[in-house]
Amino acid sequence: MTPRTLINLTDNMSRDLPAFLPELVLCGAIVLMLLFRLFARFDQKHMGWVALVLTVYALIVSIVQWQGGIYDPRPVDVKSLELFSGMLVYDNLTIFLRMFLLAFAVLLIWLCLMTGIPDREDSADFFCLVLGATLGMSIMASANHLLMIFMGVEMASLPSYALAGFLKGRRQSSEAALKYVVYGGGAAGIMLYGISLLAGRFGTGYLPDVAAFMAANPLDPLVLLGTLFVLIGVGFKLAAVPFHFWCPDVFEGASAEVAAFLSVASKGAALAMLARIVLGLGGLAEPQFDPQVWERVAPYLVPVLAVFAAVTVTFGNLAAYTQTNLKRLLAYSTIAHAGFMMLGLATMTRDGVSAVLVYLIVYLFMNLGAFAVVAFLRNVTGSEDMRDFRGLIHRAPVLVVTLAVFLLSLLGLPPLAGFAAKFQIFSALFDAGRNYGSPGVGQPGLSGVMYALLVIGGLNTVLSLFYYLKPLKIMILDKPLEEVEDRPCEPLPIPWLPNLYAGFLAFVILAVGIFWGPLANAGGEAVNRFHAASAETGGVPVARGGQP
Amino acid sequence: MSPIGLEHYLTLAAILFVCGAVCMATKRNAIGVLIGVELVLNGANINLVAFAHFNPAFEIEGMTFALFVIVLAAAEAAVALAIVLNFYNNHTTVDVDTAEDLKG
Repeated sequence: MTPRTLINLTDNMSRDLPAFLPELVLCGAIVLMLLFRLFARFDQKHMGWVALVLTVYALIVSIVQWQGGIYDPRPVDVKSLELFSGMLVYDNLTIFLRMFLLAFAVLLIWLCLMTGIPDREDSADFFCLVLGATLGMSIMASANHLLMIFMGVEMASLPSYALAGFLKGRRQSSEAALKYVVYGGGAAGIMLYGISLLAGRFGTGYLPDVAAFMAANPLDPLVLLGTLFVLIGVGFKLAAVPFHFWCPDVFEGASAEVAAFLSVASKGAALAMLARIVLGLGGLAEPQFDPQVWERVAPYLVPVLAVFAAVTVTFGNLAAYTQTNLKRLLAYSTIAHAGFMMLGLATMTRDGVSAVLVYLIVYLFMNLGAFAVVAFLRNVTGSEDMRDFRGLIHRAPVLVVTLAVFLLSLLGLPPLAGFAAKFQIFSALFDAGRNYGSPGVGQPGLSGVMYALLVIGGLNTVLSLFYYLKPLKIMILDKPLEEVEDRPCEPLPIPWLPNLYAGFLAFVILAVGIFWGPLANAGGEAVNRFHAASAETGGVPVARGGQP
Repeated sequence: MSPIGLEHYLTLAAILFVCGAVCMATKRNAIGVLIGVELVLNGANINLVAFAHFNPAFEIEGMTFALFVIVLAAAEAAVALAIVLNFYNNHTTVDVDTAEDLKG
């Protein structure tokens, strides 16, 4: 950052601010909710509606940007812009992930309005934290500088810590928050130390430069150490094994709504950041694929990612077996799904990243749906333990049927959307394996790794069958406790709106599972116009700092 | 005695980092763990400022980086202390070993 770039910063402000509009709307929503508290007239109102309206507006702006409408500041032939003198990058991947995060925020706020967590008094605090974390995740997804990576991670994490402990009076909630903040703070510190080594070694934190320098000497010990520490930080956000231990405890202690937020939005942002780092390091971020960079980096990076992914997916599935608490079961399922998405990233191809994006969207609906059903059931029964839900289908038919759709989709059963998502990942792995083995590329070792990952992914899908079916068996096949004890078996008093909500999500899963062409195309488009190096430098990454 | 150079600062930062990591791993008191986190963050900050001092091209960037880290560390400490206080209200202790309701 030199005085020259500072001048650029002010010159480009009128171009950069519209590109940043969705985030600015979120900032506005946060300030507005806090200001409203000052007036007696609004103090008693539920702030969820303010949050909902403004988040919907931000989502609309993002959709207009995706279609290249009035809020899109890019000239016709430019695919990516660097905002704020190279701090953030604005390209299709950014917009795609923003749409993902904002759509999730809208659905989550709607869910919170129905379940009554938070109550009216706490609503402003709760939604400020949710929108603040969403803002941080959005920055993670568009970061183009090591400083922005750290800022994004911290902006996403700090509100999440507070959200995990939002139910202040509950012992479990306070314990979940303490574990999250202790582990999270430690992981952030280690990540920052790694960032300081990388940025200092290369004399710049600008990601394309860092990637270019790293490709030049991938085995420098300081760089290896820095990269390892950064990967630890990302792995923690992703809950990748062996940095997963916080995840089940936090999900069990926090409310189901917060757990849904952490499992979908937080994972999505961390994956997006990892995708950017992986593609950037692999030379895939250039306008034209740069095979030389790829050849230097891939033999080291692919096996590391592959091992992480394989261990994560297998561990998550194995640990889920013995769980009886639904949120805890879904936590291990979340870990396993993060592993599945890392399988896609381990291919280090654009197809792999495109498959991950499709998976993320599908995962949003199925995981949010599962957590929403848990929240609705908690509200009427006061329990989250599946042993209390015997024969529930006689008492809450709609919720159980939709939960079955969500769990079977998480399992990957056709014709549900989960199958389409897994199919994309597997086909990306297969293509990569065939491609690496071909004489033109000549990486038989990597080809073997891809096929091994394919087998591991397939085995894990079978493994996950049993624990996804267990709650369904208890809810559908077992007799209700009331019937065994000869008491009348009353239907649960569930209002129509939650049923509608769960039905809507299940319908989306079914529809996407049958017609997944458009979604796959959108994923492909998001990656194909992936960040090309900055327009100002004419596509060639120019070293801004000193030589390494 | 050689003049103080970049290596000396980096060594100091590495020592701080290791102290912080050991502190995080071994302390049973939640406040002690948080002190460990602060040590790690400040180790990283010394790295950044030292690199900025010895590399003119990194000067402004490194300093800015360090300023942001100071602010974020303060924010993190505030949130973490609030959570520890809440934990104390529910458990009447800040011993992290007593946090064992959730496991499995």
